[in-house]
Amino acid sequence: MPEKNIDFGKFGASGIKGSEAVARQLDQLAAHIATPVTARRGLMARLHYLTTSDRAWQAAKDAGLTVSDRTLKAWMQGTRRPSKANLERIDAAYRAVRRRNVARHLTARLNREGRGTRVEIHPLDQSGVARQLQRVVAHRTMNVRRWDKIVGSWAAGDHQGLDDAWTADVLPDLGSQWGQYEYVKNIGFAA
Amino acid sequence: MSDFDAIDSLLDAVGPEAELPPCQVRRELRERARLSKAQVARALGVSPSTLSGWESGRDPAGEVRVKYAYLLDGLNAKLATETENTAELAEEQPIASDATAAAVTSTSSPEAGQDEEELLALPEPCVLCGRPARQRVAGFAQHLDSSDCQATPADTLKPSPTAPSVQVQEPRTARSPRPAGRKGAAPRGRAFQEPSGPADSIHEAVHSALAEHQGDVEAASAALLKRAIPDAMRLLDETRKGARYDVIAHPWIPDILKKQTAKGADQIWEARPKWTRPELPPGKYEVTALDINGAYLSALKTHLPLGQLEHSTGFAHDRRRAGVHLITPPAWEHDAVLPNPIGQRDEPGPLWVTEPTLRLLLRLSGPKHGLCEPPQIHESYTSGATENLLEKFRIALKDARDTAIADGDGLTLEYVKAMYSKFVSTMGESNYNRELYRPDWMHIIRSQAFANLWMKALKAHDASLTVVRAMGTDELHVIGDWRRVFPEGRSVTEVKVKDTYTAGTDAGTGQEQ
Repeated sequence: MPEKNIDFGKFGASGIKGSEAVARQLDQLAAHIATPVTARRGLMARLHYLTTSDRAWQAAKDAGLTVSDRTLKAWMQGTRRPSKANLERIDAAYRAVRRRNVARHLTARLNREGRGTRVEIHPLDQSGVARQLQRVVAHRTMNVRRWDKIVGSWAAGDHQGLDDAWTADVLPDLGSQWGQYEYVKNIGFAA
Repeated sequence: MSDFDAIDSLLDAVGPEAELPPCQVRRELRERARLSKAQVARALGVSPSTLSGWESGRDPAGEVRVKYAYLLDGLNAKLATETENTAELAEEQPIASDATAAAVTSTSSPEAGQDEEELLALPEPCVLCGRPARQRVAGFAQHLDSSDCQATPADTLKPSPTAPSVQVQEPRTARSPRPAGRKGAAPRGRAFQEPSGPADSIHEAVHSALAEHQGDVEAASAALLKRAIPDAMRLLDETRKGARYDVIAHPWIPDILKKQTAKGADQIWEARPKWTRPELPPGKYEVTALDINGAYLSALKTHLPLGQLEHSTGFAHDRRRAGVHLITPPAWEHDAVLPNPIGQRDEPGPLWVTEPTLRLLLRLSGPKHGLCEPPQIHESYTSGATENLLEKFRIALKDARDTAIADGDGLTLEYVKAMYSKFVSTMGESNYNRELYRPDWMHIIRSQAFANLWMKALKAHDASLTVVRAMGTDELHVIGDWRRVFPEGRSVTEVKVKDTYTAGTDAGTGQEQ
């Protein structure tokens, strides 16, 4: 695709990939547990979430949390604390399971029975770019109707798939200047 | 015939000079009409400095004098009509345009529909009968009522030989007077006007909720409160139809505006007043606790940043931008009589305040008040701002509120109140309203409410009332005859009495309440 940026940030622009901003917004809408996993309260909340059912526990195992039932019991009772590496694994497993659980509901909310959701795209930050190289990049809004692929790859943790779904399917609807919006400051939408 | 025309016009020009009001009045008229010198000067074809001269002692002469007199007369009449009838209208608008349409067809004069009636301060000779008339239509002074006018209708159809200006005018009949004021919601001359405004959607929502619950007010009220937030968002959308600026709902937010923990607060200081006068003057006093009506509703009129907040450092304040600022507040030496404008802050040092607080501080440090030093601005996150972003939204709610109060409609009143208060409290990082994610607006609107209360306290203080307490968004306790300072009532420009109590001691040794 000729509109894609080859060497983003060469002249001092700053921003994040549009797909990453979408993933952030989706994470925010998924409303993860706010307390960090390092606090006892946050750890217990995550463990409880992962052990509500056998299916949830199986999903956690699939997401890479492979510990024995004995260890889990010790963690839950508080006789042992998970190591730092295991804390990270617990958090990652929790995020994966949570995303998978909310994906279907979130897709339905965002598709709104085919009416779609209005997305605001805030352009990249040019404050670090030399004056004569700055370009007018306007704030844009668009309506995105099909979210299945976007939310699906976000839930599966598939960054490349999400980037493809966003950059190749959605962004070109902005018109010939869509390349300016490959990297952005923020992307906002409500569900 | 044409020779006589020329002579006629010459004779006309020789007549007495046009009368001009005194200099102060000239200036006052122009300022009340919110016209700049440059605008008026351009219209008259003179330079603005010439106009300043006319407004400060000199007098124009010749043709431009007539023009200037005509302009001042027009302004005078317009302002007089505006003050006379502000209440009537809106409903009369369609009737008036019907009447205009009828007049167009009956006189078959194509320009009749665009004529403007004006009230003249100084009577001018009627073009039809020559006697003094106080109305002007399409630039020609004339009587509107045929009984005042000595000329017969038959005469009016023919060009009158006594008035030279009539020769360029289409034949017309004297029309019956219409209601003179026409500063209604919609400008006249538009063929199709929107049948219902945003305020109607509020009444419709209330009616449908009542109908749904078979007139059970309690159930309807519960249902209405539940849908207040989405309804407010819909109303906001409706009022921004065709507007210049988009409501940007999900901008990038700097860290200072993000909550640090789930229940915690962000770093913005809203300057909520919480002040009680340290000691009363000796004696026993009757204290009145006043309540400011619809404080948050009024606070919707404030400078709101439109887009994404941009970072800047330095001391300058740009009046066209708004946002949040890191300032070192000035010292406050009037704590004995007036609350500190930045609220009851315990720790010293710089703090993040919002636009209304900063503007209040700048205003108080200005030459007019001179109450404190100007604040020091270190850093700012600002964006281009407008005061009118929520203006239509505010007016719609205010109108609905006023109507509800006039009709004694408690249900609508409660619904309107829920709409604006929940709109403000959930426009930040709330899960109850995900459509709008503007913590900056939330802080700014709240601070505006506090700043408004502060200015009311100052107004009371300047009118030599004793301010006893300023608290929260809408509570002001004063001693003295407050009725000459604040009008009493329930509209947003008025105050209501919450409570009266006596405070102070006879001996002046302590304070009881």
